[in-house]
Amino acid sequence: MTRARFFLPAAALLAWGAGGFAASRAYRPHFPPPSEIQVPVKGAAGDMFSLALGTRRLFADLWFIRLMQYYGTREKPLAGEERECAEHPGERHHDHHGLNGEGLYPEFFSRARHILELDPHFASAGLYAAGSLAFNMDRPAEAEALLNFGIKYAPREWKYATLLAAVGYSKAQDPAAVARTITPLITDKDCPVMLKQLAAFLNKKAGDLAAAAVIYADIAATSRDAAYVDNARRELEKLSKKARRP
Amino acid sequence: MRLLRLTWAVAANAFSESVRHRFFTLFFVFAFASVYASVLAGVMAVDQEARVLADFGLALIELTALAYALFNAASVLLKEAETKTIYLVFSRPVPRWAYLAGKLWGALLTAGLMLAVMAAMHLALLALRGFGVPAFYGWALAGAFLKLAVITAIAFFVSLFSTSPVSTIVISGILWTAGHFASEARFMAERVPGVAAPALKGLLWLIPNLQIFNARDAAGAASALPPAAFAAAGAWMLAACLGSLWLLSRKEF
Amino acid sequence: MSARAVSFSGVEKTYRRPGLLGASYNTAVKDLSFEIPAGEVTGLLGLNGAGKTTIMKLLTGLLFPTAGSVRVFGHSPSDAAAKSKVGFLPELPYFPPQVKPGEALAYFGRLSGLSGADLALAVRTAIERTGLEPHAGKRVSEFSKGMLQRLGLAQAILHKPELLVLDEPVSGLDPLAIHDIRGLLAGLNAEGRTIFLSSHSISEVEKLAARVLILVKGSLALTVKRAQWEAAPGGLEAIFVEAVK
Repeated sequence: MTRARFFLPAAALLAWGAGGFAASRAYRPHFPPPSEIQVPVKGAAGDMFSLALGTRRLFADLWFIRLMQYYGTREKPLAGEERECAEHPGERHHDHHGLNGEGLYPEFFSRARHILELDPHFASAGLYAAGSLAFNMDRPAEAEALLNFGIKYAPREWKYATLLAAVGYSKAQDPAAVARTITPLITDKDCPVMLKQLAAFLNKKAGDLAAAAVIYADIAATSRDAAYVDNARRELEKLSKKARRP
Repeated sequence: MRLLRLTWAVAANAFSESVRHRFFTLFFVFAFASVYASVLAGVMAVDQEARVLADFGLALIELTALAYALFNAASVLLKEAETKTIYLVFSRPVPRWAYLAGKLWGALLTAGLMLAVMAAMHLALLALRGFGVPAFYGWALAGAFLKLAVITAIAFFVSLFSTSPVSTIVISGILWTAGHFASEARFMAERVPGVAAPALKGLLWLIPNLQIFNARDAAGAASALPPAAFAAAGAWMLAACLGSLWLLSRKEF
Repeated sequence: MSARAVSFSGVEKTYRRPGLLGASYNTAVKDLSFEIPAGEVTGLLGLNGAGKTTIMKLLTGLLFPTAGSVRVFGHSPSDAAAKSKVGFLPELPYFPPQVKPGEALAYFGRLSGLSGADLALAVRTAIERTGLEPHAGKRVSEFSKGMLQRLGLAQAILHKPELLVLDEPVSGLDPLAIHDIRGLLAGLNAEGRTIFLSSHSISEVEKLAARVLILVKGSLALTVKRAQWEAAPGGLEAIFVEAVK
């Protein structure tokens, strides 16, 4: 009777141990360790929820939305009147600084890194952030730091290494090499549209208008960002006018 | 064969009770509203809408199914004892293990139905927004189901010795969150000096590592669940069932 | 089949209630020994807290004795062989409110090992015998107390058990329902089934039982046969009152 009484709990403990053993065989760490999760940004402490609920990807998505909103907010307010612009003589428009992504945006890097701390496989976010840092805000060192972090914890993600090479060419003032290097990235359906726009711009600058037109057409057809779509359509209009000129 | 029919009778009864329960219907309404809210989040994400929509929807589906599974598992045995329905069961030649197995089977059928219906709603929303089925979707649902199966079995076990459904839900909820922290806890255990390290590692064996089923989160890396994950789920469920049987076999009504 | 349907031998049941400053113990029945002959109706009388329900639950395997032994048709009450021969009606049985009586009975029938055509026939028969036919289309939530009690009895007789254990079978019923239930029980006994019923209603037990066990504070105070109480001035009530004083 005593033996029977202890059989069930003993069997239960044995089965639990077997489960733990099987789990140790099955487990593959996909994410950075907790020591890598920094809290320099307001609200990041709440990311404990992401770990507790097993929703790192979701919280990385939310942080990406917040990054885009942060970056999409102009640092300087629009001026009330159109004025003569020193950089574009003869033209009158609102202050256009920041319309192409320039600006200080001091929290940009820490917010971007936070996304990859939660989900280093969120390649689109990593490319978007690193591309913005390197090509819009002229902060290649931060772009490289971000991409190196991504490579460390998502070593199979070839796109980080590709963009890292492009940043290197950008630092070397070789736009043609940049355009060539990022070409494999822009054919991916998850490629950030700002990289596509950069590729189109570089191709246009290098004189390859046909390649630029293909990329702008792709942006117009596939992007859901109205600003990029409108810009792509305007550029296509300009390119087709140029092509029609004798 | 007779025992299998008996177990199925308990399972079918448990399943139909769940389906009839008004609370269950409320969860469908909640889940639909939540999944729809994820559409709004998807719009804010612009070109990442497909990803955000998928992640939001899958997370909410899993958490909704978890909430119902815990509520159900925490209260079903207690309710049958309080209403004396259990007298009518155990005064019959129903082995206690068959009753437990049937209740768990019924709970898993319910969880499976909830996941399936909410996933169908979610996929319909994705299709409406012009997106296809994400490559990792099937594994994400499979992983969610395995997590629910393990935690439901554990909740049944806890309900047999806890003092109320609320305490069962709290204890099971703590195990759920601890299960997702298992890898972080292991990382910290390796850095703790002295005798605390093996003690902490030993304690970690008591927590099921639910991260191995988290195909939803690992989607960017590798979402397919290895066979060892299924083995782990089976072993943990068996352990919880054996523990429950040990408690139930000694329980008087 | 054993001549004895039930046998209690030196049975004791002590309840343990854990508390903050240690457990408390309450002995519900002590040194209880009696037998229930097969094919008879045996009544169980006692004041509140005397241990009647404890005895019923010991018989049906819902409680385990602290000491002594209980036998049902020669088997332990926990054995499937015993349980398949027992039909139990607890006090105030509960059924899910949204089901119909046929659905509820089908579930319990399956638990008793019935299936297919046998199950359907058993359900139909139980509904007819307990007078539930006019209410077969209603949900349990629409049932009166009397109808619920009939449904409780229906689930107890579903699998044609050899022993019926009934805890307060006529509690809260109107006189017509009591008359019907009494008729049903008499009919079942006429078929050779053993009936063991507890009740607060001495008159009901008087009408049905061949023997009565009187329980006082967990001990068997008296066993009275029909001939004895019919011969006694004041009947069974007087004997009972004398025993419990």
